[in-house]
Amino acid sequence: MTAVLTKKEKTWMDMVIREEEITRYMENGKDFINDDEIWEKLKKNSNPDPKRIREILQKSLSIQTLEPDETAALLNVQDTELWQEIFDVAGKVKKKVYDNRIVTFAPLYCGNLCVNNCLYCGFRRDNHVIKRRVLTLDEVRQEAEVLAGEIGHKRLIVVYGEHPATGPEYIRDTIQTIYEVKVPTKRGYGQIRRVNVNAAPMSIDDLKMLKEVGIGTYQVFQETYHHETYAKLHPKGTLKHHYQWRLYCHHRALEAGVDDVALGALFGLYDWRFEVMGLLYHARDLEKHFGIGPHTISFPRLEPAANTPFIQQTKYKVSDEDFKKLIAVIRLSVPYTGMILTAREPAHIRRDIISSGMITQTDASTKIGIGAYSDRYTEQELERQQFEIGDTRSLDEVIRELAEMGYITSFCTAGYRCGRTGDRIMTLLRTGKEAVFCKLNAVLTFREWLDDYASEETKIAGEKVINKELEELKERVSEKVYNKLLEYYRRIQNGERDLYF
Amino acid sequence: MEKETSTFSLSEKFNEIANYVKEKYGANIWFVELLGRRHSYVAGHREDSFLPPEIIYLNDRFAVVSNEWEKIPEKEGIVELLKIVIKEAKQ
Repeated sequence: MTAVLTKKEKTWMDMVIREEEITRYMENGKDFINDDEIWEKLKKNSNPDPKRIREILQKSLSIQTLEPDETAALLNVQDTELWQEIFDVAGKVKKKVYDNRIVTFAPLYCGNLCVNNCLYCGFRRDNHVIKRRVLTLDEVRQEAEVLAGEIGHKRLIVVYGEHPATGPEYIRDTIQTIYEVKVPTKRGYGQIRRVNVNAAPMSIDDLKMLKEVGIGTYQVFQETYHHETYAKLHPKGTLKHHYQWRLYCHHRALEAGVDDVALGALFGLYDWRFEVMGLLYHARDLEKHFGIGPHTISFPRLEPAANTPFIQQTKYKVSDEDFKKLIAVIRLSVPYTGMILTAREPAHIRRDIISSGMITQTDASTKIGIGAYSDRYTEQELERQQFEIGDTRSLDEVIRELAEMGYITSFCTAGYRCGRTGDRIMTLLRTGKEAVFCKLNAVLTFREWLDDYASEETKIAGEKVINKELEELKERVSEKVYNKLLEYYRRIQNGERDLYF
Repeated sequence: MEKETSTFSLSEKFNEIANYVKEKYGANIWFVELLGRRHSYVAGHREDSFLPPEIIYLNDRFAVVSNEWEKIPEKEGIVELLKIVIKEAKQ
């Protein structure tokens, strides 16, 4: 069944894409993804010498972005023991840049109307089984109140379909609405301190508007970097069909002054090695133009969605083994970037990947149905969701598990509120200095969360981790910094909130 | 909102003042643009001493940040100078 676009939708679509905001970044009329070159590099670097691989690993450990040939070599490693070395170094890179913390967040879906018709997406326009809904601002507020007041999240990724009903003005209003929420908790108050946005590509003017209201990170996934596959999966006549409009949206964001951008590819649409190369080329082009790379990279795998047979039919499904490999190679290729593993993945996969130490962010208590948090539904309802999630555990359960694995959960949102953004954060990340801030702020924000939201069991596990982190910090920072940390820690225990380094 | 203020020309001035402070007192300061809850880096030092940042608001668009204000006896004078620089940049 084909859904016919309304006149309003058609008129709106005609105004979205601005060619001059694409061509200005292109060189000789070409974008930075050369499909043939990527395949050539993957072929040229087959059977890499282990000595060369170890040299590449050392380069990653010095927090330098890899060359495409180097990433291609990593992707061609066959030896199991060498892969174990790769995983180990990937974990070390993460520890060097971000220390022992894992940041948690939650997605908040505001609407599922969409003018696009992507073959793999549950929310595609022609998918008649989906119950369509756009949250009112009051409903957005209710969702944020549950997330901030009951669960304890401080950071959201707010998700929108591409549609005039959820255009840039609506996105702006939802960001403002979420930032206004402040809810009393057991010992303090809850609020969302960072609103990241996952939305369709926008113009520079629209991105400037979102910058004005304090957008966190602007996240857009290219889905697939392979031109031909992209064209097939995003039908002609849809906005998303325009590969370059999407490819350069992070360039436009950075030009608009939104200096935190996030990349991603949807693994399962095309060859996973090619997509990793695409992500690297993307990060390198951002660095080249703006001196700022991606704040995070995401690597979602295709998951089942209502009435979406493409997902069962694709020949590019990524195995669990290859999934771990691709995460490690991204970690090493763009060593300063944050890496997000979401609740799309089942608990056992998340446990395995997180224990390898490569991940910086994850979500929990995740609900992706429209209005799902305030509805408090407990079973997934696929006709309300873009796809089916694999891990429905609560934030409390996930945090307890992380603590038992030795990781400290961080709710830190300090950096973007005191100028650790853009090329300043890049410098701090590349020099390993940001890791100290991560550790200090993880202790403070975890203390807040344990006091405000944790079950007794999780509190016990969490406090063990905090004590270990405090011991490490005592050795690592100056006496002055450590004393300040202890002062802030006590003030938080006494009910003050949002103290940070 | 003072949207007519050019962030680009101001950032050069900000860098000059940051360098002066660094040279004279050995302290890092940096400048941020205020965007709702986001305080985006626009100029100044990229080094950091790991102490909590103290943010001093210069107007409704810009602030200066440091975690080493105690090293800068001229703090008030510097802040006043920065406010004048911003006012002049607007004109």
